Amino acid sequence: MQSHGVEILLVEDNANDAELTLRALKQRNLANQVFVCHDGAEALDFFANGEGPVPKVVLLDLKLPKVDGLEVLRRLKQDNRTKTIPVVVLTSSREEPDIERAYALGANSYIVKPVDFEAFARAVSDVGLYWLLLNHPPQ
Amino acid sequence: MMRSIQRKLPLFVTALLVAVAVVQLTVGYAKVRQASRKLIDQRLPLATKVLADLFQIGQGTARITALAKNPAIVAFLRSGGRTDREAALAAMRQLTNDTSTNAGLELRDFGGKLLLRTGRFAIVDSVLVSPSTDSARYGPFMRRDTTLFLAVAVAVSAAPGAGERSGGIVQQVARVTFNPQTPKALTGLAGGDISLFVGNASGDPWTDFGSLVPAPPQRVLTSRVPIVYERGGEMKRAAAAPVPGTPWMVVAEMPSRLVIAPARTYLFTMAPIAALIAIIGVLAAWWGSRRLTTPLVGVTRAAEAIASGNLEHRVPAGGDDELGRLARSFNTMADQVSRSHHHLETQVAQRTKALEGTNAELESFSYSVSHDLRAPLRAIHGFSRILLEDHNAKLDPEAQRLLGVIDQNTRRMGQLIDDLLAFSRLGRTDLSTGPVDMKELAQTVADEIQRNDNGRQGSLEIRIDPLPLARGDRGLLRQVMTNLLQNAAKFTRDRPSARIEVGSREDSGETVYFVKDNGAGFDARYADKLFGVFQRLHSTEQFDGTGVGLAIVKRIVQRHGGRVWAEGALNQGATFFFTLPGEER
Repeated sequence: MQSHGVEILLVEDNANDAELTLRALKQRNLANQVFVCHDGAEALDFFANGEGPVPKVVLLDLKLPKVDGLEVLRRLKQDNRTKTIPVVVLTSSREEPDIERAYALGANSYIVKPVDFEAFARAVSDVGLYWLLLNHPPQ
Repeated sequence: MMRSIQRKLPLFVTALLVAVAVVQLTVGYAKVRQASRKLIDQRLPLATKVLADLFQIGQGTARITALAKNPAIVAFLRSGGRTDREAALAAMRQLTNDTSTNAGLELRDFGGKLLLRTGRFAIVDSVLVSPSTDSARYGPFMRRDTTLFLAVAVAVSAAPGAGERSGGIVQQVARVTFNPQTPKALTGLAGGDISLFVGNASGDPWTDFGSLVPAPPQRVLTSRVPIVYERGGEMKRAAAAPVPGTPWMVVAEMPSRLVIAPARTYLFTMAPIAALIAIIGVLAAWWGSRRLTTPLVGVTRAAEAIASGNLEHRVPAGGDDELGRLARSFNTMADQVSRSHHHLETQVAQRTKALEGTNAELESFSYSVSHDLRAPLRAIHGFSRILLEDHNAKLDPEAQRLLGVIDQNTRRMGQLIDDLLAFSRLGRTDLSTGPVDMKELAQTVADEIQRNDNGRQGSLEIRIDPLPLARGDRGLLRQVMTNLLQNAAKFTRDRPSARIEVGSREDSGETVYFVKDNGAGFDARYADKLFGVFQRLHSTEQFDGTGVGLAIVKRIVQRHGGRVWAEGALNQGATFFFTLPGEER
C-alpha cells in the first residue's frame, strides 16, 4: 500500500472516470501522490488503523459498491481523527436530495462531473489546485 | 333553535286551544242567550195568562149580581122606575153602606137613562156597560185625575110578556184602590224580574197595580209574541194578553238586559276555565314536544357529529316506538358509514403506499439515469478527446472528423439527459405558491437574455407591457418565462431587427399572458406537437435545443391550473399564450 506522501485520496469505482481524473490532475502535475480506492469499504480501510497518511483532500464519488459515498462521508466526518480532512464530493448526480444530504453530512464541496471532457478536466484540476495549493488546512 | 320543532309544536297547540276556546265561548254565549230568551218568551205569556185568569175569578161581581136579583130592584126597573123606588133605594144603600170599597150604584134603563143613583160617585151620564144578559160585565178602566175607576154592570131583564122597554141595568162604579206593595207581590208571584200591568185594550189608563203608568204602545198589545220596546229609558221584553170577558189587557214584561244576563254569566264563568284549559294544554304540549324532540335532538346531534367527522358517535337507543326505531336505524347507518369510511381509508392508505413505492422507484430510476448514463458518456467523450489530443498525428482528417461527430453527439446526449432529468423533476417538486410580480419577473429574465445574447446579427428589442400579478411558484414561473423568452430569442436570431413582446389580456375572467416574436414561426399544422417532450419542428442544424423547453413550460403551467397554446405561421413569428390563476388584490 502506497501510504507515504498521499495528498489526494480518490474514491472512484469507475476505472474510466478514475483514469480521466488522474489525467486531468497529471496535466497540472498534481497526480504524483494520488491514492485510488475502488469502493467505499476500501476508502474506510484506508483510514481504519489511524496511522496512515492524512491526505490533503478526499475526492469522493457517491455511487459506490459495498459502502456508498454518503456513508463514507458520514463516517469520516464523525471520526475526530478524520473530520478535518476536506471531502469534495465528485459525482455525476445533480439531484437536489444528494446535494442536500452531502452538505448536511459535512461535505466541503459538491462538484458535478460534467459529461464534457474539457469541462470535466477543468473542474478536476481546479479542485486539485484549490485544495492542494490554495487551501490552508489546520496543522 | 328558533326554528326547532320543540318551539313550534307548543305554539301550534296554543293557537289551536285559543281558537277552540274562542269558538266555544262565542257559540256557547249565543246558545245560552238564545235559550234564555226562549225561556223568557215562555215565561212572559205564562205570566199574562195567570194574571188574566186571576181576573176571571170575578169575586167583585157577586154582590152586584145579587143586587140585580133583589125584588125591589127588579120591580123598579121593570116598572121603568115608576114603582118601588123607596125599596130599591134601600137595597142599594144597603150595598153601598156595606161595602168598604168606595163605590157608587146606578140604575138605568136600557136606553141609558139614569133612574136612580146612590153612593159617592157619579161618573158619566152615558151607559158605560151594556150587558145583554143578566151576568155581570166589567167595563173599561176610567180615570179622573190620579184616581182609577172601574164599572161593572148587570142587566135586569124585562118581565115575561112585558115590552122591550121594560127592565134595565144595575151598574156599580168602583174606585180602584192601590196598595204600593202589590207590584212587588205580583212580581214575586210571577217568579221574579217580571213586571205586570193591566189596562184598557184601547189604551189609557194603565196601572202596575201600584200606580198609574203610561199605556204600552199599541204594537205591544197587538203582538202575538213577546217583543221589545222602550219604557222609561230601558229596553223591555213584553208579552200581552186580553182578559176574557173584559175590555182589558194584561202585559208582562222584563228588562231586556236580563235576557243576556245568563249568557254574560256563562261567559264570565267559562272564560277563566277556558284560559285554564289553554294554559294546561300549552304546558302539556310543551312537555310532550320536549319528550318527543329530546330523542330527535340526540339523533340530530349525532348526525352533526358524524357530519363533522366523529364517526364513532352513536345515539342512545331506547323504547320500541318510532323514536327508538329511528335511533336504532340511525346507529345501523352510522355503523355502515363508519365501516365504509374505514374501508376507504384502508384503500387510500394502500394506494398511497403503492404510489409512494412507485414514486420511490421513479426517483431511484432518475437517480440511476443521472449517475449511470453520464459516466459512459463522459468516458466516450473523454477518451475520444484524448485520442484527438494525444494521437492527433496518427489520425487522418476523416478520422478526426469522425471523432468530432462523436464529440458533438456525446455533448448533445449529455444535454438531453440533463433536460430529461429537469423535466421529470418538475412533476415531483411541491409548489410554493405566493403572489408573483410577472412584470418584474419578465424584466429580470429579459435583461439576462439581452446580456447573454451572443451570435446575433441584427438588433433585439424586448418590450414588456404592464402585467397583472399572478399567483404561483416564483421559481417555476421564472423557468416558464426563461424558456419562452429564450425560445423567442433563439428563433429570432437571424432577423435583422428582432422584436419580442411580453403582454397580457383579460379573457372571460382569466388572465392570458403571451410572449410574441417576429422570428421563424412554425407550421400551424404542427402546433399541437410543440409542447411534447423532445418534439422539435426545426432541425438541430437550424436551431439548437433538445425539445424539452416547451414541455417544461406546459408542465409548469398545468401544475398551476393553467393552459398553454401557441399561434404562428412559418416565417411570420410565433405567439405563446399561457393562463394563470390571478392574485386577488
